[in-house]
Amino acid sequence: MKGWTKTALVLGLTASMAGAQQPSAAAPKPQTVQRDAARDSVKLPKARVLTLKNGALVQLVEDHDVPLVSFSARLRGGALGDPQGKEGLAALTAELLQKGAGARDAHQFAEAVDSVGGSLAVYPGRESLDVMGQFMSRDTALMVELLADLLQRPRFDPAELEKTRARMVSELAAEKDGDLRGLIGTYFQAFHFGAHPYGRPLGGCEASLAPLQREDVLAYARAHLGGDRLILSVVGDFDAKQLATRLEKALGGWARAASPAPVAPPTQPLKGRRVLLVDKPDATQTYFWVGNTGISRTDPSLVDVSLTNTALGGRFTSLLNTALRIKSGLTYGAGSAVITTTQPGVFAVSSYTKTESTTQALDLVLEILAGYRQQGMDAATLASTQEYMLGQFPPTLETSLQLATKFSELAFYGLDARDVDDFSTRVSSAEPARVLAALQRVVPASEDLTLVLIGKAADIREAARKYGPVTEMRLSDPFFAPPQAGR
Amino acid sequence: MLRQKLYITGLFLLAGTSACAQGRAAAAETAVTTPAAKAGARIQERVLKNGLKVIVWPVPANPSVSLYNWFRVGSRNERPGITGLSHFFEHMMFNGAKKYGPGEFDRVMEAHGGRNNAYTSEDVTVYQDWFPRSALETIFDLEADRLANLSIDPKVVESERGVVYSERRSSVDNDNSGLLMEQVQATAFVAHPYQIPVIGWPSDIEGWTQQDLERYFRTYYAPNNATLLVVGAVTPSDVFALAEKYLEPIPAQPAPEPVHTVEPVQQGERRVVVRKLAQAPLVHMAFHGLRGRDAEAPALDLLVRILTEGDSSRLHRRLVEEERVAIRVQGSRGAGFDPSLTWVFVDLPPGGDPARVEALLDEELARVSTTEVTDAELRKAKNIAVADFWRYLETNSGRAQALGTYEVFHGDWKELFRAPERYEAVTREQVRQVAAKVFGRDNRTVGVLVPETASSEAEQMQEAAR
Repeated sequence: MKGWTKTALVLGLTASMAGAQQPSAAAPKPQTVQRDAARDSVKLPKARVLTLKNGALVQLVEDHDVPLVSFSARLRGGALGDPQGKEGLAALTAELLQKGAGARDAHQFAEAVDSVGGSLAVYPGRESLDVMGQFMSRDTALMVELLADLLQRPRFDPAELEKTRARMVSELAAEKDGDLRGLIGTYFQAFHFGAHPYGRPLGGCEASLAPLQREDVLAYARAHLGGDRLILSVVGDFDAKQLATRLEKALGGWARAASPAPVAPPTQPLKGRRVLLVDKPDATQTYFWVGNTGISRTDPSLVDVSLTNTALGGRFTSLLNTALRIKSGLTYGAGSAVITTTQPGVFAVSSYTKTESTTQALDLVLEILAGYRQQGMDAATLASTQEYMLGQFPPTLETSLQLATKFSELAFYGLDARDVDDFSTRVSSAEPARVLAALQRVVPASEDLTLVLIGKAADIREAARKYGPVTEMRLSDPFFAPPQAGR
Repeated sequence: MLRQKLYITGLFLLAGTSACAQGRAAAAETAVTTPAAKAGARIQERVLKNGLKVIVWPVPANPSVSLYNWFRVGSRNERPGITGLSHFFEHMMFNGAKKYGPGEFDRVMEAHGGRNNAYTSEDVTVYQDWFPRSALETIFDLEADRLANLSIDPKVVESERGVVYSERRSSVDNDNSGLLMEQVQATAFVAHPYQIPVIGWPSDIEGWTQQDLERYFRTYYAPNNATLLVVGAVTPSDVFALAEKYLEPIPAQPAPEPVHTVEPVQQGERRVVVRKLAQAPLVHMAFHGLRGRDAEAPALDLLVRILTEGDSSRLHRRLVEEERVAIRVQGSRGAGFDPSLTWVFVDLPPGGDPARVEALLDEELARVSTTEVTDAELRKAKNIAVADFWRYLETNSGRAQALGTYEVFHGDWKELFRAPERYEAVTREQVRQVAAKVFGRDNRTVGVLVPETASSEAEQMQEAAR
């Protein structure tokens, strides 16, 4: 059943938006409201922390609200470990980790997870492989056993490999028949970052996945799976002391990875304009991203940038959504996002509109970006944005899985509980001058932009040229960026 | 993660579990001693003088609140000419009232730290607010203003048509799966308004009149046609006081005309073919199923899980792993006011063979109809259903959604807490019986999306071949 909704926008990985309307009689007095929401800030619970002999970091938090236990295991490496030309190797390895381990073949492994109502999956990330799971608390011992098998004793069965690889290639092709709001980000990152590892499609592309062999997977596993790469956070209904003993026994003997963890080279904003036009001949609307390189996860300006993003395109009344949806009806959604990694990732605007209004929508986006860079946001908008971020933060740390993920994320970036505990103070005390400086740093200048458009090329080709030199490819091409995009 | 993606589907599945009331004392005791049931014991309800029912679940753990307002109106209440109007109206509810003019609802809510959304289904329209507890009174003021005094500005209506058309383009016109699903649903029903797509047909999106909108508001946006759920860092007495202050003065309206059309029994398979530029084919099968409150609903829920949920499920194993004719199989069971569709969705690889997929589905669906599933399969499905139940109860929004589902579709939110025992009571034979009832070939509509190649691409390929 489809749920049709009022909003569908936001790409937002970090923050958000905008209404540049003047404050009206109904508007709140910012200072009063700010104090109210800041009082309701959330703190990270205290974790029992262990470092295993092999260097694995384990963080445990008891939470007995519901009879569930959740974990987030992060293994440094991820797609950064993909050799050039073998994009998707980490993703293929991630899939195969779930296809049989220890005493269980693929079917027995799936049966073991499903039969108790558990969930367990491996996700390839740009800089880590993430294993996430949730089980009923009565099945905690089984959960540890399955995780330990998956990490240390994967089978990498040749038949499963061949089948999984074929399915992944088909899935990439089939995905292009679906809603492109998700997929366009992959084209953008590939085109924008070119040869930098951040340009690699996380799931690979049809061309790079097809030739991957078992030797490639075994080499990846040898190099990038190991106890020293592991950050494991478990939150839920268990006895921490008992679980610590159990985990030490199950994971403490895991050998180190054969290679040091890969490190992403620095990134920086690109100069000049470039346009990628991806032809979908039957499209009746154009999907687009417009952006440049932004900031890293550990950037001291993260909160100021999040305020910037919230006001620009991270909430319903954002500048972008107000202009493109609320006032003009050009689109169902317009938003912006900050993608943060160890090195600066993308800061981008995203929307879509019917083919005929492509230029109108893009012109509006460029106009908003230029105006925002120049004028920043007024005091009322800043106050509202602060309040919004304060109010929306607590529900992001509501479930055991959210908490486990947060613990692993903080450890991965070398951050600590202050990132959560001081969040409300940092948001409440944001200074307009500092926010403006952050805004002018991350919102791309008009002359320095990467644009990616997916749509009916025959109808929008001329329009695309208006925004910069155009590179073209077809949606059906078995890769996500034209070869000449490498930089 | 996969199971998280299934939460929405699962919630609708959960909707169907309340009517199978063979209780077990042991299971009931277990439920009472659990933390969530204890929290549930703090739930209070009150019916205001205008008929609005207010249900409050205080959960102090996190300083935020979820407020869900369920209206009993969806595409089921539409007819040709005004299809999609329920959903369009959902959009209009954010576009200005008397005290808070155009844009003010969102602007004021966000300035107080709140966020909102809404969704429309065949049966209901649900408005959702998520906010810090400090904003509680402001939220009531905002909700009361739009319910009492919505303004329907013709200029805003015109702009919002563009927004909804864009939504349709994203989810249907430029999404092959959405397109096929719409065609199958429209073919499966010949009389009942469940044939109408919630987003609406294009010509109707362009054609709603001012009078249509005003009539809709008067008819369906009445306090006596709604149920309000408030879950989170609140106390019931505070919520009731605010509801009485802000919402009770809004007068009740005559009850809407009931929908009494019953879909005639289907007497033979229906087929629909969509030819579309695509890389890969799709096969959808839809069977006339059950109402949310039907006694066999929990058995059908468990059956759909046995067939499609998880990599160990029957259809995934057979079609994706063993025969390799599909790259994904998903299932869904509607659980609305009237008998809804039970679906099997199959994504094929490029060059895949829809006929082979259909043949395998025939075989597997016949198998569950003639032979009982195993004890282990039934146990597994029950465990998944119960674990999902707990996952909903981890968040305020999940609690508000689950509680509302039971209150609206089963008539009593208390049924939510009996869901685990109702799953437990299902037998293998009940699962077989419901399979035989639903998965008949004469009871189904089969949809196939047949890929076509763009002529320009075909030409380029020919040139390359020269």
